Amino acid sequence: MNGPIRRLAFVLLAMLGLIVIDLTYVQVIAGPRYRDDLRNPRLAASRSSTERGPIVTREGVVVAESTADPDAPQTFSRSYPEGPLYAHAVGYTSLLFGNAALESEYARDLSSDRDLTISGIIDALLGREQGAQGIRLTLSHSVQQAAREALDGQTGAVVAIEPSTGEVLGLYSSPSFDPAELLGESPAGGDALTEDPSLPLLNRAIDQILAPGSAFKVVTAAAALETGAANPDTLYPDPLELALPGSTSVIRNADRGPCADGVEVALATAFRRSCNTVFGQIGMDVGPEAIGATADAFGFNAEIPFDLPVASSVFPAASLIGDPPATAQSAIGQRDVQATPLQMAMVAASIANDGVLMRPYLVSEWFDRDLNILSQAGPVELRRAVSPGTAAVLADLMEDAVANGTGRAAQIPGVVVGGKTGTAQVPGRAPHAWFVGFAASEERSIAVAVVVENGGAAGEGATGGSVAAPMARAVMQAWLAGA
Amino acid sequence: MSRNAEAALLGGAAVLAALGVSIVRAAGGNSPDAQTALTFLVVALAFGALHLGFRQWAPNASPYLLPLSALITAVGLVEIFRLDPRAASLQRWWLLIAACLGLATLAVIGRSGTDMLLRYRYLFLSAAVLAFLLPLLPTQWPLGGVEVNGSRLWLQLRLFDTTLVRFQPGELAKLLLVAFLASYLASRHTALTAMTRRVGPLTIPEPRQLFPLAAAWAVSLVVLVYQRDLGASLLLLAVFAAMLYAATGRAAYPVVGGGLFLAGAVIAARTFDHVQRRFDAWLRPWDDLADTGYQIGQSLFAMGSGSLTGSGLGLGRPDFIPSATTDFVFAAVAEETGLAGSLAVVAAYALLLAVGFGIALRARDPYRKLLATGLTAVMAIQAILIIGGVVRLLPLTGIALPFMSYGGSSLVANVIAIVVLARISHEVAT
Repeated sequence: MNGPIRRLAFVLLAMLGLIVIDLTYVQVIAGPRYRDDLRNPRLAASRSSTERGPIVTREGVVVAESTADPDAPQTFSRSYPEGPLYAHAVGYTSLLFGNAALESEYARDLSSDRDLTISGIIDALLGREQGAQGIRLTLSHSVQQAAREALDGQTGAVVAIEPSTGEVLGLYSSPSFDPAELLGESPAGGDALTEDPSLPLLNRAIDQILAPGSAFKVVTAAAALETGAANPDTLYPDPLELALPGSTSVIRNADRGPCADGVEVALATAFRRSCNTVFGQIGMDVGPEAIGATADAFGFNAEIPFDLPVASSVFPAASLIGDPPATAQSAIGQRDVQATPLQMAMVAASIANDGVLMRPYLVSEWFDRDLNILSQAGPVELRRAVSPGTAAVLADLMEDAVANGTGRAAQIPGVVVGGKTGTAQVPGRAPHAWFVGFAASEERSIAVAVVVENGGAAGEGATGGSVAAPMARAVMQAWLAGA
Repeated sequence: MSRNAEAALLGGAAVLAALGVSIVRAAGGNSPDAQTALTFLVVALAFGALHLGFRQWAPNASPYLLPLSALITAVGLVEIFRLDPRAASLQRWWLLIAACLGLATLAVIGRSGTDMLLRYRYLFLSAAVLAFLLPLLPTQWPLGGVEVNGSRLWLQLRLFDTTLVRFQPGELAKLLLVAFLASYLASRHTALTAMTRRVGPLTIPEPRQLFPLAAAWAVSLVVLVYQRDLGASLLLLAVFAAMLYAATGRAAYPVVGGGLFLAGAVIAARTFDHVQRRFDAWLRPWDDLADTGYQIGQSLFAMGSGSLTGSGLGLGRPDFIPSATTDFVFAAVAEETGLAGSLAVVAAYALLLAVGFGIALRARDPYRKLLATGLTAVMAIQAILIIGGVVRLLPLTGIALPFMSYGGSSLVANVIAIVVLARISHEVAT
């Protein structure tokens, strides 16, 4: 009976062989698929068993924290006490939806679960802190609150920058969302946010570029001043409408009248009144290369170095060469010119900072469990955007626009405020209302950009001066009052 | 290989178990403690005693049996300790008990030779049937049956409202049935091989010679229906078929037996919800992951997360796997030690299987050949059924992984099987 026994042994060994093949498939070939399957409870466990450091505002207001489960001290849950207020800047760390914003960009610092990288090993050997680090933001709680109250649910964004350092004081996008919606074990809350037509997950402050409208005249004026083509007193013709060469279309002013007396008008007056006819002409006089060079100096057409990825703002100089009508329209911030609120705030900030553009930053400090500061981020000069002289003239023009022109709604008693309004036409819809500007008290200064998409609550009648300028004032006041 | 080498390998298994327990402690941030020492001592003591028993009563036995079973036991103890330290301490007691019972068995058959088992053929059969039926005793009796997870497999001894011990008599009944079948088939195999009757195109043996096959089929179905134990009934049938095939060399027995079982299984799947759910879970685990597919889904998540080298002992989450110390202990080992560890375990079973069948091939008479075949087949088929189920090669059957799963009855039965195999191999050599 040895024959059958031998065959029996081979059959059973062959079955073990099949098990080896299946096991190899399950563990190695399909392994990563099983490991990363959203239904694998290890995913939730690995994230929640990782303590993450807190995130606080510059004042120390806690906006993200991990708390240990009282029943299981090795598991943590992440919470965002301020809810929607910091959602776009701080982001979230979610089992089902992954990490976003700072929670993603600084995941390595925040998490206690470091990889064994060379630097991690060196840190361990040197006895450096390996635990979860907390981070302090440059954001100001009062500025954020003012931004939220100002936008009041309307679609838009506010960015505020400390001009001399580049610290981002405010970064708010509306409508916002509560990160708590994304933290649950059910995808329902997050799916609802993803499918919401008002796009609450979109960070309108940095992820979306819009036509800046007349707010861009700051850049056009800067180019004219930098090239020496003009000074504030340079006189320009004041037609009822600006005929564009080689084209049937014309450029008119917002009120469809002349800028001043209908004969000729100084650049300063045209800036104060935001005259399209004059700035269209200036644009054609200065030319797309010069405006493009100035726009680039402010940060257009390039990636902005920031703690979060930023959509690049666009001034397509090359395609405007030899196309005066398009150049004229681009000079007043229409057509192909598009910018993020962060970019426009950087324009205002560098003018308030004597023409020097500082690198914007959101994280100022890394600290350990005992609140010892581990490292700090400081001001970094990106480049000189315009000469000190040009910056001074532009500041004067902007202060005049707020004191006597379109930006009057941004005035703050006893404080020098400068700014430029923008009302960007959107085909078939209400215009975007913009305000970019700055304010400085003895102790503090701030530059802001505010955009309200499609007029907000004001609708078709919205202008930058009527809708965005009061919001900018509230945000600036919140910062200046804090001193 | 000598008995001295065997002793050295057993020491290695004890060190492996102690090392594993220390690693689990270290993974939890603890330093080695009494658990490490206890694990080392118990493994060394139990297998050391068996080793000394071998020197006394089976000095020429195969030296591979004990080290392989000790290796698998050590891996199992470490994983059980990792999942449930309390269960590990109970398992240590069971290992000591199993070693004592194994020694006793060895002492008995060692004095008078394996032939003595032939004498008690029908005693074994009645004992086996009784053992299968014992769990059907009323639960409130001092010695009563208990239903656990829907299967009535347990016998418990209760005195003064305290459960003293729980045992699965079915585990021992498997060995008793193998012992009965080996002696029955050894004396009848010529009759079963002779095809004297012709039914249509088929030739069959005398119908009365077929009685044991029919009885085996009936027993496996009774177990399936009354004890709701798919695994045990499948195992019994497979072992019967394997032994009949070994005895007669006629493939018709396993084919007909398999066909009958398949027919029974299909009927059972239609009739009994719990059997139907097993099939659903096997074929479509992802459709209903929360319910029917839960166990197998968690098992696949665990093994996939382990990947090639595993999470490391104590660093995975095998606690997510249901029944991780018993039916799914293999998945837990696969998660924490990766494919490297799981293939090592499969290799250990393959070697044990090869050693067991090697003993059967060299055994000196048909009875010993069949007994060795049956004992090896019981362990090998159990391992194939449960590992195959855990990796979704086969439908999941709740059955213990020999030497590795938490559970005293199974450990006792497997140690006794190893001891009998050892004695058979000793008798070859003398």
